[in-house]
Amino acid sequence: MSGVSTRGPAFSTAGAGFSTVDRVQGVKGEDLSFNRRVMSWYGIIAFLLLWQLAPFVGLTDRRFLPPVSDIVLDALKLVLNGELFLHIASSCQRVLIGLFLALLVAVPLGVSLSGLLPRVTKFVKPLLVFLGNINPFALFPLFILLFGVGEVAKLAIIFWSSVFPILNFTIYGVSQVDPLLIKAARGMGAGEREIFWKVVIPGALPAVFTGFKLGATTAFLFLIAAEMLSANSGLGYLVHNASMNYYIPRIYVGVLGIAILGMGFTQLINKAEKIILGYREEVKV
Amino acid sequence: MTAIHDFLTRAFYKCGSLVLFVLLWQLACSTGLAPETFVASPAVIVKTLWIYLWDGSLYKHSVISLSRAFTGFALATLVGVPLGFLLGGWFKSFERIIGPLLYFLAQFNPFALFSVFLLLFGIGEFSKVAMIFWVSIWPVLYNASLGIRSVDPAQVKVARSLGSSKFTLLWKIVIPSSAAYLFAGLRLSAGTAFFMLIPAEMMGASRGLGWLIINAQVNYLIPRLYAGTLVIVIFGFLIDYLFRFLEWRLVGWKRPEAALS
Repeated sequence: MSGVSTRGPAFSTAGAGFSTVDRVQGVKGEDLSFNRRVMSWYGIIAFLLLWQLAPFVGLTDRRFLPPVSDIVLDALKLVLNGELFLHIASSCQRVLIGLFLALLVAVPLGVSLSGLLPRVTKFVKPLLVFLGNINPFALFPLFILLFGVGEVAKLAIIFWSSVFPILNFTIYGVSQVDPLLIKAARGMGAGEREIFWKVVIPGALPAVFTGFKLGATTAFLFLIAAEMLSANSGLGYLVHNASMNYYIPRIYVGVLGIAILGMGFTQLINKAEKIILGYREEVKV
Repeated sequence: MTAIHDFLTRAFYKCGSLVLFVLLWQLACSTGLAPETFVASPAVIVKTLWIYLWDGSLYKHSVISLSRAFTGFALATLVGVPLGFLLGGWFKSFERIIGPLLYFLAQFNPFALFSVFLLLFGIGEFSKVAMIFWVSIWPVLYNASLGIRSVDPAQVKVARSLGSSKFTLLWKIVIPSSAAYLFAGLRLSAGTAFFMLIPAEMMGASRGLGWLIINAQVNYLIPRLYAGTLVIVIFGFLIDYLFRFLEWRLVGWKRPEAALS
């Protein structure tokens, strides 16, 4: 567990644990009755219904908590004039570039540190943990001072918040590759290069993915924060702008949009993980 | 001799890199390699911290920040633990219905929600506490529900057939067997609470560590910016260590197999 605890007190992926919903929905291949299949939607539907009806029966103030229909209408308006798409696109672009840069730096660095220089890795590990635990939000003013209020500062904050989980998990992943497998491969006459590509990388990849997922969640979180502080496009900006202009339905459009986009993003990563890590044997608990 | 050697080796690996980092930083600042307008040297940061320590402002802001984080965290625990127990233990089919909803709610970005909280609760203490509550309830809730599902049904059956009351069952079987998960959840939640406190204070507060930083940025007080950041990191580590220590003391006899970290 040493590699997993590298993040120390830093932010947990809030509620990511509830992604066990897929497990709840039934084992693959099991023939579920219609009722059981739609069961997982009941809660969300009931919640939305309650939200919709609450203002009409006087439970909530319509001005502050508009019914779902108002929110959907505003979302439709934004879709029709293309604005929503624009915001989603620029948010996605930022998070993807930031994550890509983080991967580009963290994975090769982690692999080479852990694979080639284990003692150096052991030496710098406390520093990496320390740096990874600096609240990215506390660094935000600093990034603005250093990089200005443009794109670079936002990319820097996304990069910073995702690079340490990926790096720490890569180091952990490479270090926990089964030495027996390496010895076996060597015994069967595999060259160093072959061992690296056929044993070390597949062995470390699951941990890298765990780090990537953590990093992506954090990156997404901070993307919104960064956009709220300084941007002129993106979903975070949409929320911020709506709240500055007191345009309340739009705030909720932004909040829901961010939640849905984040969920879609997580799903995508999980799908990719399933495809890329398909070689792993499933462990049934 | 070996004991000293062992100690030195361990110390070298534990804090060598940090010391080296600080030394290089200081060197870069002293030689003018790092521009003084943007980067405060470690010596200056320590001096700033020293001043804040003695004029009481550090204490004042820390107490306010910690009490906010604690309030949010305590509320999250008070709601999350019983709710998790109920969902995981007594209303399993209800959890199937409400699980996806909880997952959906947990996806709500706390920063974006802050705008909503400002609308609903105003800019007072309450909206900050609400935000901290919102982010720190999920780990507790999830781990409580996981913990209660990890209770060995055989133990429950044995206790029941030996005639234990519901309260004894809860106190002697359920809570001890799920304690490891509970503590993992509490530690995560406490870390998250403090983590999210900083942005909450940066967005709307007039005191606290987050405010200290944002105020330093607005007034271009670079040493204070770094000092504030450092204090926040240190508090983050302290909170983590406190909970790890409690975990070790109270549930060290039982390691969670798969508690999320």
